[in-house]
Amino acid sequence: MTEKGEYIMLFNLKNRPLLQIIVLIILALYTFYTFGPLYWVFTMSLKNTLEIREAPYSLPLKDPKWSNYPDVWFNSNYRRYFLNSGCVVGFSIILLILVGSMAAYCFAKHPFKGSEFIFMLIFMSIMVPPQVLLIPLFQLLVNYRLINTLTGLGLVYVATQMPLTIYILRSFFAQIPNELAESARIDGCSEWGTFWKIMFPVAKPAISTILVVNFINLWNEFIYAVVFIQVEEMRTLPLGIMKFVGEAYEDLGRIATGLTISVIPVIILYTIFSESIIKGMTTGAIKG
Amino acid sequence: MGNHTICKDLSQQRKRRKKNIRKTLVILSFIAPALLFYLTFIVFPVGESIVLSFFKVKIFARKATYEFIGFENFRTLFADEVFWKAAKNTVIWAFASPLLEIPIALLLAYVLHSGVRRNAFFRIAWFAPVLFPAVVVGIIWSWIYNSQWGLLNAILETLHLGALIHPWLGDPATALPSLIVTSSWMWTGFNMVILLAAISSIPKDVFEAGRIDGASNSTTIFQIVIPMIRPTIINLMILCFVGKMKVFDLIWATTQGGPMWATETVATYTVKRAFFWGTFEKGYPSAMATFWFFIILAVSIVTTIALQRKESLEY
Repeated sequence: MTEKGEYIMLFNLKNRPLLQIIVLIILALYTFYTFGPLYWVFTMSLKNTLEIREAPYSLPLKDPKWSNYPDVWFNSNYRRYFLNSGCVVGFSIILLILVGSMAAYCFAKHPFKGSEFIFMLIFMSIMVPPQVLLIPLFQLLVNYRLINTLTGLGLVYVATQMPLTIYILRSFFAQIPNELAESARIDGCSEWGTFWKIMFPVAKPAISTILVVNFINLWNEFIYAVVFIQVEEMRTLPLGIMKFVGEAYEDLGRIATGLTISVIPVIILYTIFSESIIKGMTTGAIKG
Repeated sequence: MGNHTICKDLSQQRKRRKKNIRKTLVILSFIAPALLFYLTFIVFPVGESIVLSFFKVKIFARKATYEFIGFENFRTLFADEVFWKAAKNTVIWAFASPLLEIPIALLLAYVLHSGVRRNAFFRIAWFAPVLFPAVVVGIIWSWIYNSQWGLLNAILETLHLGALIHPWLGDPATALPSLIVTSSWMWTGFNMVILLAAISSIPKDVFEAGRIDGASNSTTIFQIVIPMIRPTIINLMILCFVGKMKVFDLIWATTQGGPMWATETVATYTVKRAFFWGTFEKGYPSAMATFWFFIILAVSIVTTIALQRKESLEY
């Protein structure tokens, strides 16, 4: 990541107005391209469908319909979808942090014969396309009566997010000096005690990174949810959005409001944790 | 005397062995839960998919019947026109996306790195689209492409390009390219951030030397930046390629493979055959998934070896 004060000016823009203009145009155009669609949907969420039909691109300055929001929130199944997504994501993240940090600590600080190979195998599973897993996992979940349950979906999420989680935590644990664990051991701490009392608390920054990254990945997860959840009461948010859009077929204002509501948690998280989210989500890519 | 030392040695050995066993147990207790998840939910299903692809599997009322049929599923697969259509679409997507996303991302990263002092704002802003669920992105873009009141057609109209107005997702000829553009809208910022980090890690003296030699911007990009961050670029290309070989959610939320299979991908077709066509036959979709899995594996291994051979020399 770029740090403050590290910037160098390759071309001196002050003396080259043409270049300055080109740079500005590129910046403006690309920002419009990324934000235009999002902003458009936001403006639509403050209008009713009639107003959208008449003028899809006008700004809702005159009479913004903020009432759309409580209307959608209270007169749809959105609360259910939020609750379901919250439960499954929370459940998976807690398990991921416990199981992942233990394994990552072991890989980083207690390497054994073949541990590097096992780690690589686990990391390689990022390559596996979900459709290879879907059919056997579906059968597995049916056999254990976990199909159409958030527990079943959550367990699958733990497995699919495990590689990235272990990867991020392992590189963090590897940076912690060995002396820290050793001094604990000299004080008579068992291996378990050392981990939970010393190492786990030290790893807080990395844990908060995997927390937000897994939250975003799982909050948006779609393919496993589509296949494993086929009853209304268990729909997670992405499935709920699809359902909601299907039901409100022509009611654009309502749909736009629904879409905006569904991304609010992610926007809030991103405004607070943008740096660590970017860092976490790009880690796997920098060193593949 | 000799006896005595041997005894001592033995007891020490026993102690050491005991310690070793304890150490192994401790290690196991740390790693076992993760391995359990990995074996149950990744390794075992992959294995089962491979095995199932040689069977005819009928599942009815929670009872499954298996009939070994050798390579029959693969024979069917190679004759399945829809599958080949889906494979073609997926491969087009997988090749087009890196070529579309990464050059744009590189240009943006270069502009930010060299021309903008406070570039954190743009970095954070441009990264944003990748955070939204593909379902939401898909719905927003299906509005943009809408033939009657879509944003794209409106822009074309104000630019006096009314002749280009089009039902973008409704026409088999433009549906796939339109979705490819949408997916690159999501992912270009992601690539840009990584490339920006890579460019920032190039030593300043290198740029300084280039500037003293009077290198133009294009020379700087092609002679300095690209060669120096080549490993990152290759990594991103492979990542992007593999990601698009698996593409599913964007299509599911917009065209569901239509019109006329124009946007069908291997992932959507497999899921349809396995769960949404009501055939209750799992052998054939397993064969499809297995075949595609090995294609992805082979392509990524080959490209990694072929393209990154020189990495150790350059870095």
